[in-house]
Amino acid sequence: MKEEKGHQADRRKFLVGMGIAGAAATATLASPALAVAGNRCETKWDQEHEVVIIGSGFAGLAAAIQAKRLGAKSVVIFEKMAVFGGNSAVNGGLFAAPNTALQKKEGVKDSPERMAADQAKAGRGIANEEQLLHVAKRANEALQMTIDAGAEYFPYLQQLGGHSVPRTYQTTVAVGSGITQPLLNECKKLGVRLVNRTKFESLIFDDKGKVVGAKIREGYYFGRGKEGSPVNVRAARGVLIATGGFARNVGLRSAQDPTLTAEVGSTNPPNATGEGLLELFNVGAVPVHMAHIQTGPWASADEDGFGYVSNYSIYNFAHSISVFPKTGRRFMNEIADRKTRADAQLQCRDDNGNPLPPVTITSYEHAKQHPTMKKVLKYGVGWKFDTVEDLAKHHNIPVKALKQQIEEYNGYVKKGVDEQFGKPMAKAKDKYLKAPFVTVRNWPKVHYCQGGALTDVEARVIDSSTWKPIPGLYAAGEVAGGMHGVSRLGSCSIPDCMVMGMTAAENMMKS
Amino acid sequence: MSYKKLMFAVLLVFIACTVQAQETLKQFDGIKGRSYHADFYDGKSCDSCHDSKKPLNLPADDACLSCHDLDDLIKATERAKDEMGQNPHNNMHFGKDVPCMECHGEHQPREHMCQGCHSFKYKKFKQ
Repeated sequence: MKEEKGHQADRRKFLVGMGIAGAAATATLASPALAVAGNRCETKWDQEHEVVIIGSGFAGLAAAIQAKRLGAKSVVIFEKMAVFGGNSAVNGGLFAAPNTALQKKEGVKDSPERMAADQAKAGRGIANEEQLLHVAKRANEALQMTIDAGAEYFPYLQQLGGHSVPRTYQTTVAVGSGITQPLLNECKKLGVRLVNRTKFESLIFDDKGKVVGAKIREGYYFGRGKEGSPVNVRAARGVLIATGGFARNVGLRSAQDPTLTAEVGSTNPPNATGEGLLELFNVGAVPVHMAHIQTGPWASADEDGFGYVSNYSIYNFAHSISVFPKTGRRFMNEIADRKTRADAQLQCRDDNGNPLPPVTITSYEHAKQHPTMKKVLKYGVGWKFDTVEDLAKHHNIPVKALKQQIEEYNGYVKKGVDEQFGKPMAKAKDKYLKAPFVTVRNWPKVHYCQGGALTDVEARVIDSSTWKPIPGLYAAGEVAGGMHGVSRLGSCSIPDCMVMGMTAAENMMKS
Repeated sequence: MSYKKLMFAVLLVFIACTVQAQETLKQFDGIKGRSYHADFYDGKSCDSCHDSKKPLNLPADDACLSCHDLDDLIKATERAKDEMGQNPHNNMHFGKDVPCMECHGEHQPREHMCQGCHSFKYKKFKQ
């Protein structure tokens, strides 16, 4: 059936063909080995579940738990990889929510409206404000679901960039697996069927255009050339696509944004390739905001993934300088918004046009305040120097120019005004740059895809030909697009994933 | 110990270190395998791990655990307190749920999974 995919007209024929088989299959579900005579698309159902979820990140796990709590008898999660959790298991574990217990304790005045407004501002006019408000209203409930499952958070709030008040929780392990692991345990307790090494291939429709199942490849071994064998899985109440973004699909992302070539890494694991999203487009979903792909300017050229340098740089940028090695000069405001910085970093190139990652220089006495510095040095992704000469020699920076730059910058620290790039200097107060120094080499990495398939506030996937929800089909998390607009604020993805996953499950259980 | 002997010993250690990575991967009759699993190859007992004598598929994710005890493995690879989450058999991201084959190759060298993002050194890990 694969050859019939890929073209809309062919796909419609495919739907009709599948519809006949699908309808027959539904009628005779009791007979497991079903073959429809006289139809070119003979379908038999190999499995049946009430709720079928593709992907085991925050959205999929929250949906499974919610479906079970609402009485679903059979819920299955299919995960492409050997391990569960997807990109969620390696993210920063930051969870923004308004009106929480910690805000009450710290005396922070907040509201769902305020959180949504902060996000809409970063979305620069194209965010989906109805969805933002929906998520903000239920974020605390989602947070509670993780706490009930056993997630542990630092006993204080953080105020991340773009948020007008402190409202961000962080797991005590400072990683998203501090949430995915407890949610997985909860799923096991509730009897959710978790199947690894199973790759979603396509959706199966009935003759009315309703999604009634999915074709799944069992025994799929990622990266080993083992594609597995397809099985048809019937979904009595619906299919939730919770497959995440496409940060690791270089072809797809550079088609949207030509600056995101293979030389730009990603904080996501290699499996963030977006096939689930492409299948949604195949069946007529509306692509939205696909070119808005967020890169993290705090990432490192010297390690893969999110690594250690990301959290190190996020903490240190405010009191550090980033210099272009060729000139020894600064080239950006080190705490500008993510996009401004990443664009400036990508301009740092050698004479042949190859990446020449900028060097971020921090005084050792300030860098050591954050626990990540030890790891950065231990694992060779950062360096410590006793003199500016040693630093310049190691990174091949003209020493005279660098000394001059450091002197100028220290003048800005003294004045409290950055005359070069207008960086807010409040957090750099009294933090002069002086030896010994610690350095890292930053290079932006693709972090998050704001774009995806258009969904409504009920997590239903919208059909581009009818502008109505495709019956039986839901999408939640990064695979869904449009909620955040131009720029997603840090710590706002986890509530998005969790709440929309819960919402999808509730709607499935109503169906 | 004479200087010559000392240098020889140093050389041996050097060689041992450089080949250590794959030193347990041996050529058996028709297939490579780990020296410590030599018994399996003597009797061609592929079904010790695979589901049949003539395997078509990779073994089940928990195949190794029919002989190896997970709790023992966790203990053997314990890390210092501030790096507890780096224990490959019970790690921060995926707990105890990483299938053995994601890091260990029986018939071919394999890099461990953490390598994708981290440069942790696992001294006893046999590539």
